[in-house]
Amino acid sequence: MSAAARPLLLPLAGAALAGLTLLAIFAGRYPLGLSDLAAVAMGGSEDPMLRTVLFEFRLPRILLAMSCGMAMALSGAVLQTLTRNPLAAPGLIGVEAGASITVLAAMVLWPGALAVGLYPLAGFTGAIAVAGTIAGLAWRQGVSPLRLLLVGVGVTALLSAFSDLLITYGRIERVESALLWLSGRLHRAAWDQVQSQIIWLILAGLPILLLWRHFDLFQLGDSLAASRGLNPARFQIAALFLCTMLTASAVANVGMMSFIGLLAPHLARQLAGAIIVLAADTIGRSAFAPVQIRQGWSWRSSVRPIC
Amino acid sequence: MADLRHIPAFLALALGLAIAGLFHLRLGASPLSWAEVWGAVTAWQPENPAHNIVIEMRLPRLLSALTVGAALGLAGALMQGLTGNPLAEPGLLGINSGAAFFVVTGLLLVPGSTLSMLPWLAIAGAICAALCVVLNAGRAVGSARLILAGVMTGALFSALTIGILILDQQGIETLRRWLTGSLAFESAGMRQMVTPFILLAAVIAVANIPALNLFRLGDQAAGLMGLNVARFRLTLLLAIVLLAGASVATAGPIGFVGLVAPHLARLIFGTDYRLLLPAATLIGAGLLVLGDILARLAVRPLELNTGIVTAIIGAPVFIFLVVRRVK
Repeated sequence: MSAAARPLLLPLAGAALAGLTLLAIFAGRYPLGLSDLAAVAMGGSEDPMLRTVLFEFRLPRILLAMSCGMAMALSGAVLQTLTRNPLAAPGLIGVEAGASITVLAAMVLWPGALAVGLYPLAGFTGAIAVAGTIAGLAWRQGVSPLRLLLVGVGVTALLSAFSDLLITYGRIERVESALLWLSGRLHRAAWDQVQSQIIWLILAGLPILLLWRHFDLFQLGDSLAASRGLNPARFQIAALFLCTMLTASAVANVGMMSFIGLLAPHLARQLAGAIIVLAADTIGRSAFAPVQIRQGWSWRSSVRPIC
Repeated sequence: MADLRHIPAFLALALGLAIAGLFHLRLGASPLSWAEVWGAVTAWQPENPAHNIVIEMRLPRLLSALTVGAALGLAGALMQGLTGNPLAEPGLLGINSGAAFFVVTGLLLVPGSTLSMLPWLAIAGAICAALCVVLNAGRAVGSARLILAGVMTGALFSALTIGILILDQQGIETLRRWLTGSLAFESAGMRQMVTPFILLAAVIAVANIPALNLFRLGDQAAGLMGLNVARFRLTLLLAIVLLAGASVATAGPIGFVGLVAPHLARLIFGTDYRLLLPAATLIGAGLLVLGDILARLAVRPLELNTGIVTAIIGAPVFIFLVVRRVK
């Protein structure tokens, strides 16, 4: 990608995102057209059905998908920079495994012990705890990228064995509701989820964007970065913590979304240079999100026609 | 054998395997006495129910555990030799998931597929996954990128498998347990079908022992010593996919046996592949037999999936290896 083309690509990605958003608004079982959208925007339409579909179903879902997508993509980009490894994904530091084992255990072993509204919080706590454990095990005068990734692989394998245990031997109806909860709740998106996700995105994402200079420095290698006044160990801890918060909030709000965190930074890197990678990939990932919405739709209509 | 010193250790290993096998026959949902096990093995009377449990239910399962464990142990040792990476293993590198995906796809989506196609499907899947990993792993020997490429390949194939199972609800019911690795199915027929593949792979492995030892020096040095590196890699890869495919066809994807067995073998016998390969094979078989005993005892009269047990035991070993050995 030539340097001259870069400034063009960010608007292009933005345009693609806008196009997909429109597509996501229009596509679905209840067809909406441009004229409907214009009518609602002008305040001319009093059709309650139209307003319900748009404001209660489509919009929260699109916004949730976008904000979660941004969170996953940012944390993927952070993790790939931290580990200096292009194959790292948020799932590898145990965030998803930690969230899913906590929720599974809560729903299968002790149902009723937690109010339903607390499940995201439980998942979040589990995710942070597991990610902390992995970082702690991998710690040796700083987080060694290689150790971090490999310990992550091991702990994830261990936790998924326990998840399999619960899935295979738990009471089937509890397991099914837990799996449903985990496998993504985009189709039940509500405004309070959107709100919480956006708050987390600002809380953890903004510092990452503001740290872009440090990320660029860190890419030069530990010793060079240290010579320019960056404390690599402290920077790693801070970045890991922010990255965990982002992923954990996304998982807590919509469930598992593997691979997006892995893919998005690469797309962004193809599009943009190292300096604007964070900004570009935020858009790059959320361009994926509406596609996921569609997948969720088709899944829902083919598998669970009742809901 | 290179050295007579190692004969007692091998004898002890074989003895341990035999004892584990006897326990495997005795313990289970209905515990039997030693006399009944012994009677069944030496003088089988078809009308004796205890004898029938031993001969018709537990013995085939024991043989499957031995076969699959040996295949996985050998595959792990070969992979670690081939990649120069102490963490390589068919489960972690996604080979098992690839094989499982092909099996599920073939059985559920291709009309007219029969069980006899299963080993071929599994091997095709193993080849496909192995190619994915090799192409993504880069050229650096012993790099972590290999493991990551493998883990991502495995995750990809598992996700695809789940996607197919969502389309086919009945498939979930029949394949849910197989997918986490289970020896509980009637697998005597499958074992006979995959035995030729395993034997072929074993022959390849034995023929490549000198090359494996040479390859420890690094691929360049081995090439200078007259080893045809490309051919060596290709034949070894063939052996690995045969072993992984055969074990997945028999028992579903079972992880970590291929990781732990070669490491235990290395602890006892050192790094000479003349000793390492047979030892890893024996230890792999023993580990899976022990894992299967645990799987059947933990929640009696129900049983756990063997793959879950091996992961719960094997994953901490993996973490320990990483924390100790990786800088």
